[in-house]
Amino acid sequence: MTQRSRPPRFVIAALMAVPFLTACSGGTSGRTQASAPPDLNGVWSAPFTPDISKPLGHQPPFTPYAADLFKKEDEIDDPLTQCLPIGPARGIQAGLMPFQIVQTPGVTAILFENQRTFRIINTDARSHPKDPDQTWFGDSIGHWEGDTLIVDTVGLNDRTWLDTAGHQHSDQLHLVERFQKMDNDNIKWTVTFEDPKFYTEPWSITLPIKRQNTEIMSYSCEENEKDRVHLKRTNTKK
Amino acid sequence: MRSTFFLALALASALFVAAPVVAHHGFSVEFDDSKPVTLTGTVTKMEFMNPHIYFYLDVKDASGKVVNWAFEGSPPNILYRQGWRKDTVKPGDVVTAKGFRARDGAHLVACNTITFQDGRQLSMGNGNVKGYGKN
Repeated sequence: MTQRSRPPRFVIAALMAVPFLTACSGGTSGRTQASAPPDLNGVWSAPFTPDISKPLGHQPPFTPYAADLFKKEDEIDDPLTQCLPIGPARGIQAGLMPFQIVQTPGVTAILFENQRTFRIINTDARSHPKDPDQTWFGDSIGHWEGDTLIVDTVGLNDRTWLDTAGHQHSDQLHLVERFQKMDNDNIKWTVTFEDPKFYTEPWSITLPIKRQNTEIMSYSCEENEKDRVHLKRTNTKK
Repeated sequence: MRSTFFLALALASALFVAAPVVAHHGFSVEFDDSKPVTLTGTVTKMEFMNPHIYFYLDVKDASGKVVNWAFEGSPPNILYRQGWRKDTVKPGDVVTAKGFRARDGAHLVACNTITFQDGRQLSMGNGNVKGYGKN
């Protein structure tokens, strides 16, 4: 476990091949960039934010259905307790466990240390599929507006939580994220959550993302899991 | 050399002592912050593995009976960045461990600090605050 900040070679090779293969197959061409976008490559981390209402300053605008569900929620039901994937936004907010961004002209990948999961953000001007399969990390497309990478994500399943506190979402969740490069070591990340089943209107939080002097390490939730047999339903949140 | 390493490790750990653990589960579903415990014993095993590290202590109870207790800490990636290595705690070491007992009464502790016989103290990453992993 040495500490370096270079992407794994296989990841670089795989991602560099994507634009080439797309061009060879007659795929959509990338939109013309007036200038090269900022470089987001590196290992990064945001502050650990287990309760998403804290940076918001209040509870999100629950629908009655979501408010009732939130009152009844118990941390024992957290998908992470069951070693399930963390999901796209919570992966950023997980903090302390960093993530690596690998950026190429047509694809940007976010490699989470948390369970070694990853996101693929296509930046080749494609649209979302018309009827995307619902998955743990959804379908993400991105484009650059000046110094900001804007990522639009749909096609999420309803099985992840937004945080440890138990804020949830449906399969209608639509995420819009803005990764604004502030300087070499800082990104301003704003995520907007839109989900008409759970929230009466879209709401957003902003967190600072800082460059880390480390590399992505191993993390397998199932490797030596011994907690589940000891868990008790508590509902201590309310 | 060894003392320099532990000084650096202790300083690094101190920075994290109040930090909530990054676990795959919340604190309160497994541990009871109204049941703090301090136990001294001999390390029998160290598991520097995901999703939590564990070490085990043989501890004598009041009647002299030896009970093997399990102590849970942060994941190895978190502790590695604080300076921990897989042999930082080894079988045969005698340590005093502080933490909070499991709700179900098992001989299991969410460990926040360990102290070696020579006084060196290290964080296990669980912090010493109530409700770790929640806020």
